[in-house]
Amino acid sequence: MDNLFYAMAFVIFLTGFWIMLSHANLIKKIIGMNIMESAVFLFLVAIGYVRDGSAPIVTEASSAITYVNPLPSALILTGIVVSVSVTAFALGLIVRLYQHYGTVDVDEITRMRSEEQ
Amino acid sequence: MSDIIVQVVTRMMIPYLQLYGLYIILFGHNSPGGGFAGGTVIASSLILYVLAFGIDNEELRLSGSVARIVESCGALAYVGIGLAGILLGANFLSNHSAGFPLGIPGRVFSGGTIVLLTVSIGLKVASTMITLFTNVAEKEGEGE
Amino acid sequence: MITAHIMPLTILLPLVGAYIILLFGSRHKILARNVALATAGVTFAMVCFITYLVSAHGTFVYHLGGWAPPLGIELMADNITAFLLVTFASVAFIVLLFASDVLPGEINPKVITRYYALYLVLLGSLLGIVLSNDFFNIYVFLEISSIAAAALVAVNGDKLAMEASVKYLIMSTLGSGTVLMGIAGLYMVTGYLNLDFIASNLSAAYAGYPLTVLMTLAMLVVGIAVKAALFPLHVWLPDAHGAAPTSSSAILSGLVVKVYIAVLLKLLYRVFPLDFIAALPLQASLLVMATLGIFVGSILAIRQKDIKKMLAYSTVAQIGYVFLGIGLFSEKAMIGAVLHVFNHAVMKSMLFLSAGLLIKYSGRREIADLAGLGRTYPLPMIAFSVGALSMVGIPSFSGFISKWYLGLGALEANQLLFLVVLLVSSLLNAFYYLPIVIAGFFKKGTVEVEKQVIPVGAQISLIFLIAATFFFGLFSNIPVSYIAPTIQGLFGMFGGV
Repeated sequence: MDNLFYAMAFVIFLTGFWIMLSHANLIKKIIGMNIMESAVFLFLVAIGYVRDGSAPIVTEASSAITYVNPLPSALILTGIVVSVSVTAFALGLIVRLYQHYGTVDVDEITRMRSEEQ
Repeated sequence: MSDIIVQVVTRMMIPYLQLYGLYIILFGHNSPGGGFAGGTVIASSLILYVLAFGIDNEELRLSGSVARIVESCGALAYVGIGLAGILLGANFLSNHSAGFPLGIPGRVFSGGTIVLLTVSIGLKVASTMITLFTNVAEKEGEGE
Repeated sequence: MITAHIMPLTILLPLVGAYIILLFGSRHKILARNVALATAGVTFAMVCFITYLVSAHGTFVYHLGGWAPPLGIELMADNITAFLLVTFASVAFIVLLFASDVLPGEINPKVITRYYALYLVLLGSLLGIVLSNDFFNIYVFLEISSIAAAALVAVNGDKLAMEASVKYLIMSTLGSGTVLMGIAGLYMVTGYLNLDFIASNLSAAYAGYPLTVLMTLAMLVVGIAVKAALFPLHVWLPDAHGAAPTSSSAILSGLVVKVYIAVLLKLLYRVFPLDFIAALPLQASLLVMATLGIFVGSILAIRQKDIKKMLAYSTVAQIGYVFLGIGLFSEKAMIGAVLHVFNHAVMKSMLFLSAGLLIKYSGRREIADLAGLGRTYPLPMIAFSVGALSMVGIPSFSGFISKWYLGLGALEANQLLFLVVLLVSSLLNAFYYLPIVIAGFFKKGTVEVEKQVIPVGAQISLIFLIAATFFFGLFSNIPVSYIAPTIQGLFGMFGGV
């Protein structure tokens, strides 16, 4: 049952990978990138999850119960920050490209560029 | 762009959004949350304001330039807190081992430098989000 | 106090410098330039100090926040690390010296301060990758470096550069997503992120989950290969390096591609035991891809008309040499690979900078139009020639030394075929570099060029690079004696291959 998460993460990862490689639309490539990174995050959550574990926050009242592993969550948070910044930067560039070419399709852009030369 | 319903609802929501963001930042060491999540919430409230009251508004420009300064200050504050560890004779980003009091777990002011770090991250993230938004918005304006 | 904390301070200094520039630089352009130069210079000095400390006291580590691994993040400097650090900091400083004089004429004055800030962030992240001994920290710095590098390509806002930048960013994220998945896999099977702890737990993990470990290794290697532009994953490189501003091309081709090789070195020589890797087809596939990269890169470089594109394809070929050295798994070849990281960084940044000057003053990018420019602009053309001869591998230039060690490594590993590869590829290099040099000095120019004064900073940086090429060509025992003991130790530790 636990392996299901890992398998699912890989399916999603490959889906994102495939979208990034096969689609010519730049926005879809960025969506694919986000899907791919979400898959990695899912994978990390699955690694850190402990059945019936609670959030690992130490308070005075806390008794000795099982906690989930906090490290993967911290990694995911960092990973999310990274992926947000990459996405924002890429979208900013795509907006500019769209202003220059009037399209977000890579093939179209390549065609227009070769016609110019 | 100026829709009265959107404007009224936005005006009602913004204080709560910001309070919620501040809560997430300040309680980042005691409960799920922290600088990044809280900073994003605060930034989204400001972006919502700009969206509701018009991108052409002068306030947008102002918040953009202020955001750039806050962004640098947030990052430098983080480094400064880290360097404080070195100055107090321990390693970079040291907390308890550099002599910062840990306090009582569960209180707002506990955990030594963690609160200060989450606040500086919160400032940095919120201002970065605004800068990103203004950059894209300004560029759209240039193209027209 | 500085001595104990030198490692985090070295990484932090460029990052702090970048934010100070962003804070004050938009109003005072001269201040931004001076802060950037001072930061890069002091960083270089600190890196030299780290090199001294490593040679005096041996490997040393630093625990961030005072938390010892596996809980905390660890920074580590050994001889190879220190050598790579010097490579990055010195070349980055010299390129910045060049950029500070030439940039104002090349890019939009509005973005110059941001350019300096991005440049310093990139430098900080490169040093961070080399120093980190923690896989997730390496990933974060990798991402910082790829965003900063893509931004340095697109900074000028012209559409070719932006298209190349988007392409670069997408390929780069593809690579780092794969690397992150690999890191997650390593964490899953070993339970650690620290390189040394992973290494010591790997054999137990392999006994339990052989397939997962293999897949993890494959993902890490492929992800790094995409980012390091190993053939056939190099497609993004020529566009990005060709379309970027001069100083960006120099640092991208010279340094950013190399940093991923530093990660690969950590992965293959520190984490996975050598006998483990020797049992896999990894060595053979690295060698095949490296060889193909050397040939295809060179042949495509011959076909280019645009000089910067030619240099970019030449980088694809040169990356092949480094991967060849890593893939041969022998002591001498490894020394050759590490030396080539440095020598190629010096040569390629010199080539890009001199080509950039020639393009700037002649206004042409076509190789054919560079004829005769050696008479009007002797210094850039001499620098270009020195770089070209060094690339070809003429003795007494530094490029010869790394090829020599790669050749010795091929002999040591009993792979004579790769000796032939080295010789043939040197001929190919000569085929596309030498005509430019000859035409530059002895042919009559096709375009009339007015002589303009080359800024002093640019001249100084070119002279430094020329001197470095000769110095490390003639006194190669200095770097070799610095890194050889560590490499011998690596091979000795696992019983050699």
